[in-house]
Formats: sequence, C-alpha cells, structure tokens
Amino acid sequence: MLTVAADRLRDELTLALGPGGVLTAPEDLAAYAFDAYSDARLPVAAALPRDAHEVAAVVRIARAHGEPIVARGAGTGLCGGAVPVTGGVVLSLARMNRILSLDARNRIARVQPGVINLDLSRAAAPDGLFFGPDPSSQRISMLGGNAATNAGGPHAFAYGSMSAHVIGLEFVDEAGDITWVTIDDAGYDITGVLVGSEGTLGILTALELRLLRTPRAVRVCVAAFDGVEAASECVSSIVAAGIAATALEIMDRTIVRAVEAHYRAGYPQEAGAVLLVEVAGESPDVEASERAIAALARDCGTLAWRSASSAREREALWAARKGAAGALGRIAPNYYIQDATVPRTRLPQAIARVEAIAREHRLPVGNVFHAGDGNLHPLLIFDRREQRQLDAVVAAGHDILAACIDLGGTISGEHGIGYEKRETLPLVFSADDIATMERLRGAFDPARGFNPDKIFPSGAVCGEVRTPSPTLSHA
Amino acid sequence: MSAKLYALGTHLPGDVETPATLAELAALLRACNETGRAAVLFGGRTLQGLGAVPKRYDVAIDCTRLDRVIEHEPRDLTIALEAGCRVATLDAVLAACGQFVPLDAPRAAAATIGGTLASGWLGPRRATYGRARDFVIGTIVALADGTIAKAGGMVVKNVTGYDLSKLYVGSLGTLAAIGQANFKTLPLPSVRRLAVAPLPEGSRARTTANIAALATEPAAALIVTGFAKEIDAPSGVDGCLVLLLEGSERTVDAATRELRSALGAAGVPQTRLIDREAGFAFARVLDAYVETLGSRSMTYRSLGLPSDTTPRIDAFARVARANRLTLETIEDVRTGDVIARLSARLVADFATRAKLFDGERRTALAEARILVAPEKLRAGLDAWGAPPASLPLMRTLKSRFDPNGTLAPGRYVGGI
Repeated sequence: MLTVAADRLRDELTLALGPGGVLTAPEDLAAYAFDAYSDARLPVAAALPRDAHEVAAVVRIARAHGEPIVARGAGTGLCGGAVPVTGGVVLSLARMNRILSLDARNRIARVQPGVINLDLSRAAAPDGLFFGPDPSSQRISMLGGNAATNAGGPHAFAYGSMSAHVIGLEFVDEAGDITWVTIDDAGYDITGVLVGSEGTLGILTALELRLLRTPRAVRVCVAAFDGVEAASECVSSIVAAGIAATALEIMDRTIVRAVEAHYRAGYPQEAGAVLLVEVAGESPDVEASERAIAALARDCGTLAWRSASSAREREALWAARKGAAGALGRIAPNYYIQDATVPRTRLPQAIARVEAIAREHRLPVGNVFHAGDGNLHPLLIFDRREQRQLDAVVAAGHDILAACIDLGGTISGEHGIGYEKRETLPLVFSADDIATMERLRGAFDPARGFNPDKIFPSGAVCGEVRTPSPTLSHA
Repeated sequence: MSAKLYALGTHLPGDVETPATLAELAALLRACNETGRAAVLFGGRTLQGLGAVPKRYDVAIDCTRLDRVIEHEPRDLTIALEAGCRVATLDAVLAACGQFVPLDAPRAAAATIGGTLASGWLGPRRATYGRARDFVIGTIVALADGTIAKAGGMVVKNVTGYDLSKLYVGSLGTLAAIGQANFKTLPLPSVRRLAVAPLPEGSRARTTANIAALATEPAAALIVTGFAKEIDAPSGVDGCLVLLLEGSERTVDAATRELRSALGAAGVPQTRLIDREAGFAFARVLDAYVETLGSRSMTYRSLGLPSDTTPRIDAFARVARANRLTLETIEDVRTGDVIARLSARLVADFATRAKLFDGERRTALAEARILVAPEKLRAGLDAWGAPPASLPLMRTLKSRFDPNGTLAPGRYVGGI
C-alpha cells in the first residue's frame, strides 16, 4: 500500500475509533503480525474496536480502501488464521470482553467475542453451570476466536465442539451491517455456517452460548501403558463398548516427561504412554464406568492405574495435560503441532504411521491427543535454525496428513485450516466440493475482503506469499 | 406412481421420478435445471407440508429408493446412509449394536433421514443430547446444476473446510438434495422409562418449576393438553405430564424416586410408569406433533425460551377462543417449544376460522411456524411467520446455490 493511501486509511480509522483504538507504529504493529503458527508482514493498522458499531466502521473504512480485514482474538490459533498474510487491517476483538448476560434459568450466556473462554465457566459456576468446549488454550483464548475456528478441546468428546454450543450470534457483514441470527430463526442456519468459518465470512461481535449443568460426580484416572499403540487400543475399546467417559486423552513419554518437569502432577514418567480418563455424571454411573474402564485397561495391558483422590489432584492432572504443548516448548527449540483426525478404530494404525514418518525424516516426535475423538496432535520437534530440519518438518507434516487421510481421516479436527493447511485442502476435497464452499463464501463476501488468504488453496502457488512457516517455540 | 400422492397445495406434478442412485438424482436435477422445470424432493411425506406451497412445481423427485446403508463401523460410533433410508431403519440398525441417534422424528417408520434433516426437525430430547444438526458429521449432496459435492467426512471432529452440512440441514430442499448423510452415534441408554401423570387443576406452574429443579434431568419433559388419542392417558384439568427418563438402571430408579417426590410436592398425586413399552409410547407422543384431524386441524410450532412458554400458550389460547377453534398443546418444559394444534368440528367451519386465526396470530405469535395444515388451505396461510433479519443474505445464498430457482421455488422463508 502506498504511504499516502496508508496514512489516509489510518487517519480514517483513528477518526472513527479515537486515537486509543488504532495502532499504527511498527513497534506496536509487530504484536499483530503473528499468531501461534507463524509471523508474516506487518498490517497497515491494528484496530481495537469497543463495540459492534466500531467494528462496522472499521469494515466500511477498510473496504473503501480495498484493504483486507483479518479478525483476531488472543492470537492463540495454530494455523496462521490471524496472520495478516497480505497486510491490511488487523481487527482485534480483545477490548470487547464483557459477559453481557447470564441467564441461569434458560442456561444461556451472551458474551462479547473477547471474553476469555475460562472466564465464562468461572462466571457460570455459582449457578452450577459451565461452558463445554475447553481448548487447552482456554486460560487465554477468546470465545470469538473459539467460535471462528469451531474449537474443541478435551471435552469435545463428551460435549461437542463450539458449533454445538453457539446458539446465536451477532456479526458484521462485508457491507458493514450488523445482524443478529440464532439457530432457531426460520430459514438457513446462518449461525451454523459462521461458526468455524475462520473469519472469512464476517466478524463475530457477540455470541449467545449454551451452558451446561455441572456434573454431580467427577472422576479422573490415569492409566500407564508401555506405548501409545496400547493406550490407543484401550481408547478404541472404551469407545466401542459405549462407556460414557467425558474425556480420553493420551500423552506419550516425551510429553509426560516435559509436563512432569514443569508441573509435577504425578504422571508416571517411566511409562511409554499415559491415558487420562475422566468420567462425569451421576455418582453410581461414574463409579460403574470407572470400574468398566479399569477392566478394559487391564485387558489392554495397563502397567498401572491410579484414580485421583481429590479435586486438587484432578485439577493438577488437567492443568498439566492442558499445558503440555507449552511444557514441551520449554525443552524443545521449536515444535510443529498437527491436528489430523481419524476414525477412532484407526488410532493405533495412525500412531504407528506418525512414528514411522518421524523416524524416516529423522525428527523426534511427541504425541498428546484427544484420543476419544480420534484427534491426533503429533508435535514434531525441530530447530528452525537448521534448514535440513525445517525442510524435514514440512515434509513430515505433509506425510502425516496424507497418511491420516488414507486411513479415512481428515486434516483438521479443531485447529482449523487457516493459512497453514490451505494448500492441503484439495487432499480432502474435490474441486467440486471446494467450489461449493466458495458459493457460500461468495454469498457472504464476494469481494473476499475478510481473511482472504485462508482455508482455500491459492490456486497459483506464489513463492512470495508462502513465506510463513512454523516458528512455534512457546504455545 | 400416482401423481396424486405428490400433490402440493392445488398443484399436481407433471412427472414423478424415483432415482435409485445419487448419480441418477444429480442427473435428474441437472435436466430440470437446464429445461427450466421446478423440482420438489420427497422423502416419507411426513413433513411435506412444511413451508409454503411452491410457486412452480413440475417434477416430484421421490428419494425413497436411495435407501442403502453405506458404511457402518459400530466401533467408531459412526454410520453413513443414503437419504432415503427410513428413520426406523437407522434406529433398528443402530439398536442392534446398542447405539442411537436422537432424531426424534415423528412417524419414524415412514420418515426418511434426508427429509428429517432437510426439514430441520427439532425433537424434545435435543435439550439432553443435542440437535440432529450436531450429529451430522458429513453429507453428500446434489446441487441444482447436477454438481455432486461432499462436506465433512466420517470422523467425529472435523473443521476441514466450511461446515456446509449445517446449511443443508433445515434448507427444505431449496439449496441442494441431500443424497447421503453421515452421523456420529451415541451409546443407547440401558433403561428408558416414561412417566405419565395427569395434572390436577392449579398444579401446572409448580410442576414445571419442580421439574426444572430436578437433580437428575429427564431426557424429555412435556406437558400435553388434549391429544387424547395419542397420549392414551387420562388428562387432568391442567393437562398431562409426559416425562422420559433415560440412563442406567440405578440412575433411572433414583430419578423416578426424585420425580415422585417433586410431583407430590406440586400436588400431583398419581404417576404411571411405562417401562417395557416406553419407546413405543414416546414415539406415539412424537407422532402427535404432526397428527391431523383430517382437514379440520392445523398445527404450529413456536420456539422460545423454557421460561416463556406460558405467555405463548396464553396467546394461542386467546386467538383460538376469538376464532372459536379448539386448542391442544404440547409444552416442552426443557426446550421451550410450544406445539399448538387448532381444530374445529366441521371442515367447512375450520377453513374460514383457520385463515382468520393465522392472520391474527401474526401479531401475537409472529415467530410461530406451521408444522402441518390441510393441503388445500396452505396457500392462504403464512407458513413461516415473520422472516428473520438475515433474509437478504438467505436470498443471496439461494441465488448462489440455485440460481435458476429449480429447487422448490417459493417454498422457503420470504418466498425463497
């Protein structure tokens, strides 16, 4: 963008949002150039609106200048969804952070998009309610971003991902108009398609969310296995037996050691893999489920079984699990996390393939994943200062996705496609499938001003645009 | 196949087609699209009266021959079926391996998977298990121009590309023809128990409050007024509570004890428990949602919050009284739905009163939609109620997916 045009854009934004609502200095913009996947170029400006009307003003101004708009929550996304790949205006929803209402009788909360995920469950707790989706980033990630990516988390296994919990929303469309929609509206499910659209269809400015009743009894157990495959077999048999667990999470030895070094939650470090099991519900059922799962774990050759004896111990086990990627970041120079999902009976095969691919590319790998959903999170460990390793991590990543697709799976279970996997989308979908998705996009945003370089393949691969690459060192 | 079976409003289709494969379905749509003929998709015809009467209607496409189970891996808790499969088939296949998908479709033996999804059917157990849309993990559709397109897949957690299945669910065959649907399933609860209790005069409000406060939540809780034939139970002055408990034996037993004491405290003395026939009895209640009294009844659904069912029922009652129509209702304590069936004793009386009722309810119950009405009256009724704010966007969506208006033109919200 020419300097004169950029100055005019910045002036108009400042006029609309006030000087505190717009950042333009390079040192300030640096914070808006990256997310948890990669960094790119600086945006022309970062806008920090305080309400939907200010969001609408930003959209109109950016549109008039032909600049792309990249919405951003906490920037915890792992696929470059919030990265301004071709510059433009980054629209941060972080200042819109109020819980607007909490209706305990009807179990509905209305929130602004900048509310932090965990804060909603905290606010609902006195009424015996909580919010279901709990991505591991929930202490910092925002509900708007969670909705835009259809985020999941360990409890998506029992409660479903964001789309099952967003029952209405307010959004700003490409014309800068503000519309409320709910899933009970007569007509097409606009709410349903906006959730998970990764900022490409509109800007979410408020959410109406379903809250759940806090279960009366909760048990958290840890089973040790000699390897990830045995632990995966156990998960497959629990799922197949129809035992109602609320979370089934696996960590391999690499991850457990990283986690224990930081959290000392009491996971067995000598085991090849641990399975974290949570069962919640009515008290007699919870006990029966725990017994049934323990029996299946024995059948799958568990080395040890431990049941958390207190709420504190449960919380410590969960905190360590949710902090796994960060803990690995403390000991690995860099890592690259993936998000492929396979049918649950294919988990052991998928894990074997992941490990073979990592060996082939001479990269260490750690596995921490939502096993109950078949949602893998292999973390490839590398040092980005070494070109061989950087090349190997990109190649191994591609091979893992291809292997999971081959097993009947897909390339993302909860993180999104973003910038990272856009060129991989054609591995899963045909040209007709993608063209059909483009029809939806065309109805919302024909000019493609919202997050233009995301989800869909670029068509002609452009070397200049493909600069972002995994840089993760701290999640 | 007799065209009369496919009559809509006062239209009869020129042709009735019965494709046996998705490719045939797509080819039929393409042919219609290229020759300017309007097509309406049919499943089990249990909810065909949903929406307005199409403006143009040349070809009926009956999808019931698309009835294969495509893929079923019980250990994955997933299943893929063609859209013409009956809901009862899905239920039976899954029950055989101890699983279910809570679609709650009325007349499940006739209703198809595709029709149930396309209609956006909302059952009472959604408060417990979630909506049909949340169990759909993938779809394959045929667009009006014959394009076959896939969305989602066979994994239970998937954010790869747009979730177009959400768009097709509830689109009533106006954007695409659903050819295949993939579901995630749930383990079947080991015990189902239906509790039926007549509510004596003055007990309704306390009953509702006490049910909302139950520690062990019922899978569904309905208060039915009227519908004597479907409920098969003596109604009290305040209606009849129909409550479904699902879970392990211990949990259901504990819930039953808690329920009895909650009802006792609300002044409800008798509760009949149905165990062995619970599934059958509950299915009869679901049937009531679409059961007609010949051509002398019509049924509305009003969606809202559980806390505001009473004013909506009162509004139905007021407008029904003013037009001398008999009102029967199903109040869904957990979801906030109100189902209202209006009838007259004589068909001739009903026709005039129904139109007046529908005109007057547009102010008091603007959001209510018609579930079922006599075919000949439908053209004169407002099937959708007030359109939502997103109507212009919906029109654009329609023009992107079906630019020629091949798929049931005029049937949808706002004349889409």
